[in-house]
Amino acid sequence: MVEFENSSSMAVSAEGSVSSSGELLTIPPVTAEKKKRNLPGMPDPDAEVIAMSPKSLLATNRFVCEICNKGFQRDQNLQLHRRGHNLPWKLRQRAGNEVRKRVYVCPELTCVHHDPKRALGDLTGIKKHFCRKHGEKKWKCERCAKKYAVLSDWKAHLKTCGTREYRCDCGTLFSRRDSFITHRAFCDALAQESSRAQTLAVADSEGTLTVQTVASSSSSPPQPPLTPSTGVLSPVLSIQSSEAPENLPAQLVHQQPVAASSTTPAATITTGSSSTTGGNGLNSGGDSGVFASIFASSAPPGFSQPSQSPSSFSDMLCAMASPDPYSSEPMLLSLSSSLYLSTNPSSLFPNTNHDHHHPCPPQPALSATALLQKAAQMGATGSGSFLRGLGLELPSSSNNLVKSENISIEAGLGLGLPTAGPSHLLGPSSLYGNEPTTLDLLGLGMGGGGASTAGFSALLTSIGGGLDVATATAFRVNSNGDSWEGPSERKPSLL
Amino acid sequence: MPRYDYESRPFPTLWSNLLTPPPPFHAMTSKNHIRPWLGFSTSKALGNFGDANYMEQLLVHCATAIETNDATLVQQILWVLNNIAAPDGDSNQRLTCGFLRALVTRAARSGTCKVLMTTAANLAIATHKFSIIELAGFVDLTPWHRFGFTAANAAILDAVEGFPVVHIVDLSLNHCMQIPTLIDSIANRLEGPPLVRLTVAGLTEDVPPMLDLSYEELGTKLVNFAKSRNVTMEFRVIPSSSSDGFSTFIEQIKIQNLLHSMNREALVINSHMMLHYIPEETLLSSPNASYRTIFLEAVRSLDPTIMVLVDEDADFTSRNLVLRLRAAFNYLWIPYDTVDTFLPRGSEQRKWYEADLCWRIENVVAAEGAQRVERLEPKGRWVQRMWSAGFRRVGFNEEGVGEVRSMLDKHAAGWGLKREEEDLVLTWKGHNVVFATVWTEKQDEAWLGTAYI
Repeated sequence: MVEFENSSSMAVSAEGSVSSSGELLTIPPVTAEKKKRNLPGMPDPDAEVIAMSPKSLLATNRFVCEICNKGFQRDQNLQLHRRGHNLPWKLRQRAGNEVRKRVYVCPELTCVHHDPKRALGDLTGIKKHFCRKHGEKKWKCERCAKKYAVLSDWKAHLKTCGTREYRCDCGTLFSRRDSFITHRAFCDALAQESSRAQTLAVADSEGTLTVQTVASSSSSPPQPPLTPSTGVLSPVLSIQSSEAPENLPAQLVHQQPVAASSTTPAATITTGSSSTTGGNGLNSGGDSGVFASIFASSAPPGFSQPSQSPSSFSDMLCAMASPDPYSSEPMLLSLSSSLYLSTNPSSLFPNTNHDHHHPCPPQPALSATALLQKAAQMGATGSGSFLRGLGLELPSSSNNLVKSENISIEAGLGLGLPTAGPSHLLGPSSLYGNEPTTLDLLGLGMGGGGASTAGFSALLTSIGGGLDVATATAFRVNSNGDSWEGPSERKPSLL
Repeated sequence: MPRYDYESRPFPTLWSNLLTPPPPFHAMTSKNHIRPWLGFSTSKALGNFGDANYMEQLLVHCATAIETNDATLVQQILWVLNNIAAPDGDSNQRLTCGFLRALVTRAARSGTCKVLMTTAANLAIATHKFSIIELAGFVDLTPWHRFGFTAANAAILDAVEGFPVVHIVDLSLNHCMQIPTLIDSIANRLEGPPLVRLTVAGLTEDVPPMLDLSYEELGTKLVNFAKSRNVTMEFRVIPSSSSDGFSTFIEQIKIQNLLHSMNREALVINSHMMLHYIPEETLLSSPNASYRTIFLEAVRSLDPTIMVLVDEDADFTSRNLVLRLRAAFNYLWIPYDTVDTFLPRGSEQRKWYEADLCWRIENVVAAEGAQRVERLEPKGRWVQRMWSAGFRRVGFNEEGVGEVRSMLDKHAAGWGLKREEEDLVLTWKGHNVVFATVWTEKQDEAWLGTAYI
């Protein structure tokens, strides 16, 4: 036991109740020590410092009766028990000022709380500390595999475990944000959600899209071909979003499959500005009319930026047709560039006579048809319903059109998105097949136990003999064939 | 560690009746006459042979026998290995089984054992083609990949601060699995998200993990995801081969770099377990610069804002089969050992995981020349290479280290983080697994001007 003789005012009181006498000494206002609050264990220098061995610390019944060996958690209870044996007993007095506060040090020598200056003020506290920091973690959470040394910690964890989970719309749960984010990025649920969000003009998506437009027109570097990219999409979609709730009859939303309707503005542009394709095949007349009118309205409500009138949309499309370093590359993909690829055949925009009109860029290496097919493929599998729409408009032959219409229906329902089904999984390899063992070939009868294992030893012995002859290495077999000696290093089995 | 119950169950073996047991030595005079074993000297349990030490010795001797064309010995050791290394045994047995399989393939290929031809054919490894969702879950089973992702993302985020345009060149084995979290954190940066241009090296070689999705489709998903986070992103894939040191890829990047050099654009080279596929010096007959050197110098000449190099800390480059086998055995036990902590025996994912490992073992052990693409080099050698190429090492900031640490806290207890100089090293039970280093161009611009004209 260590005792501090120095007597000064009591500064720190531990939160638990250590001394079961429960007397509350008056605690003077905490002054200087308050700054050190995060440092646990700054006890009263006047307190009695108690050091216990790990065993006595963790003993559940450390007050033992010398007569019957019955153990008690508290001294007071032992005293009461001693009365039964007619032994002298003494209950601690409540009022006594003479009872000193006790503080406890951690039995672990290397621990900071081994130092009396950092002793902890209550017995439960030091017990828990010792278990947590220096004890075995016996309690394991079955859900997340976390382990705890203190039962109450484990119980507390059980109450919250799993509440901080991340759930994807596809139903998968994640305990970690990074794995959730990664899953989310590739999950079809995101694609479906974003197309739905755009069509139904969810406030969120509208907001984000607008912000994006602003950002791309103001803060980005002076590089027209690069910046519009998805920004180009924003005006279209935003226009639609802002108009849709009021102007679109609900019936229309029903008629038009979700994904397809978000592509409609583009389709309308195409049919409006050129007569090359059978774009009407996609939209039944009435729908496209509605969209056309939306699009034709010069300044859509809710849109303050002058640059985003319909005509400037064409501008931007044209701007995108300006020389782009990416355009000469065969494998090119981004929302913007796909758009660019699909619109690039200039016949689609024969009359673009705006100021900002750029000369047509050098054609990509791939033929337009090939590019379109690529775009259509992308549309069919990916999430970009917008891409899909453009891709569908463009095939020139009627056969293609019919075909793409089918795709559009599928995709439009939002159900056609391919998911990797179990059919893709490979069957178990032959490696894992359960086949009879080789051992019977020896006629040893492996099931027989000891005899057969001895057979291996014999074999190994013989091989060992062979090795001594055949290979001049430092490797040999003991005469009884039990152990192999060789250069030994770290081995997994040793861990 | 669970031991196989040898007594009560038939021992599962890699192959069954494909390989005849070899004749014992005392019967070798009459080669065609196979008779049962006699003279059982001890009754020692077979389990002791499951020790990794013995297994490694057996593998080493088998490899030596293959190299010396000793068909009988090869056959005998293979037979023993086959009976002590169960494909569904404990982690050591499964590890050994992977090597056994590779040795069978090598013996068959080298013509040492004609008998093994059919066996080898039957042991062809069926690597799984992952769906993108499967792969996304797969990379997070252990911190093996996430360690590099987290460390790299933190470093990248730090380096591109303030840049309105960020060009990320991703050379990653894992099909852009790092990108979503990078987009997510870049989207939240204070000054607003930059324009992100992502250029990906689409490896033309088939190395696991294999993906059943084209890069174009992958790109669509990433662009879409970026959009949902208000990040404008352009995606581009350049099919390229590691066998020529990504020379076409580098050319393309160079052209792009020239075109965008006027912008305030940050160039990020992110290489994640990919550069070890580039041929190094042991593949050369002449003392020319290897593709690895050429590649790093080319990358350096692009003046990247930051280059992150993450790879596995082992040496698989030796020309000597035995040395290589030992190096691989003493590294690849780790993935087998860790798998027990997170995947139940017999689970489908575990089969995929171990099939990919078997593929790697076979590549290290059985393949030679340009076919042998698993050419890991230890951290020290990479650091030397980076220095020689003219890079300057930068450290990870405390935030990044903290992120890695808290990520590791959520994994099994055996994982650890070590700081070696400025680098970070992921450890398993104290053994180095993966290292992460961050590099930038040398600061002395004037000197550079003369050095790189």
